[in-house]
Amino acid sequence: MTCPYLEYRDDDGELEFDHERPFCRAQESFVSPMRADICNDRYDFDHRDHCEVFRNAEDGEAATPLAEGQD
Amino acid sequence: MTYEEYLDGRKVVLTVAPTGGVHGKDANPNVPEQPEEIAAEVRTCEERGAAIAHLHGRDEHGENSARRLQAVNDAVRDRCEDIVVQNTTGGQATYEERVQGIRTDPYPEMASLDMGPFNREQHIITEHNRHNIESLAEEMREKGIKPELECFNNGHLNEVHRLIETGLLEEPYYVNIIFGHGTFTMPSPENVLNMIRNLPEGAEFNLLAVGRHQLPLTTLSAIMGGHVRVGMEDNLYLERGVPVESNAQLVDRTANVLEGLGCELATPAEAREMLGIGGTKRAISG
Repeated sequence: MTCPYLEYRDDDGELEFDHERPFCRAQESFVSPMRADICNDRYDFDHRDHCEVFRNAEDGEAATPLAEGQD
Repeated sequence: MTYEEYLDGRKVVLTVAPTGGVHGKDANPNVPEQPEEIAAEVRTCEERGAAIAHLHGRDEHGENSARRLQAVNDAVRDRCEDIVVQNTTGGQATYEERVQGIRTDPYPEMASLDMGPFNREQHIITEHNRHNIESLAEEMREKGIKPELECFNNGHLNEVHRLIETGLLEEPYYVNIIFGHGTFTMPSPENVLNMIRNLPEGAEFNLLAVGRHQLPLTTLSAIMGGHVRVGMEDNLYLERGVPVESNAQLVDRTANVLEGLGCELATPAEAREMLGIGGTKRAISG
């Protein structure tokens, strides 16, 4: 099961791409390739346990944008 | 691996890491993701002095996919003259996904080998335990693939020493020392010198540092007789508020600094000789 807030879009009103990318409706922004593994419940990830944005959205709280890590 | 070697004019191996597994075009639209796009960037970087390309695979949505490394490798080999292909086996995916990086046809000449886990955000940790590390090292040795030993912190240097004792590695050991935030070694000149002091005998080292630390610490690496890695995997900004336009921009900047220091960049052939890269076996299909 994937996160119900995950969509694939090619634009968000500001950024536009020639392909669809993972987009978080709760956060109203594209998500990084790294975080998309959580959105898609890949490997041992589960968005219900591992995504603060999902939990905040479910609790009716404002979604806090997450800072992306760098490598 | 010493300041004297720098003074003696020993050549520097420059690795470009164009893509990585963390950032996408949402962070900087110039990050190359698709095979042809990556290959075009790598070719330009090869022309500007890169000897090694550290490669990641992405799917059609820009998400990580080790299985796309075959297409990336094919495109890079088609477009480039002689650059050394170094595939990733790192990241947060399972072992079976990550090992695809050393199961392309032909095998890559090099592959990264993370020497332990690191944390990201609240819930992400990479699954690099000793069993997985040794399994990858063994398969790389069987296939003649040179491992780049990724040390995200100085505890991982202990793991390099331990892995040498298993007999799975051949000299020169190629150690990549990494500086950044979180569970990476804290970026400072003092910590660079300390890491270098603790390297095993018979090692060559490369340095990568994230963001604004990329230029100063890679420069220090060259002065200390080491090698350098630059690219958009590690740094999306040329300077504060100025996004990088291409990987070649980062390669050029470092190449110019090194030239000013009197360093010459190694060709891919010279890099193979210096780092003991060679003898990769071709995959047997079927």
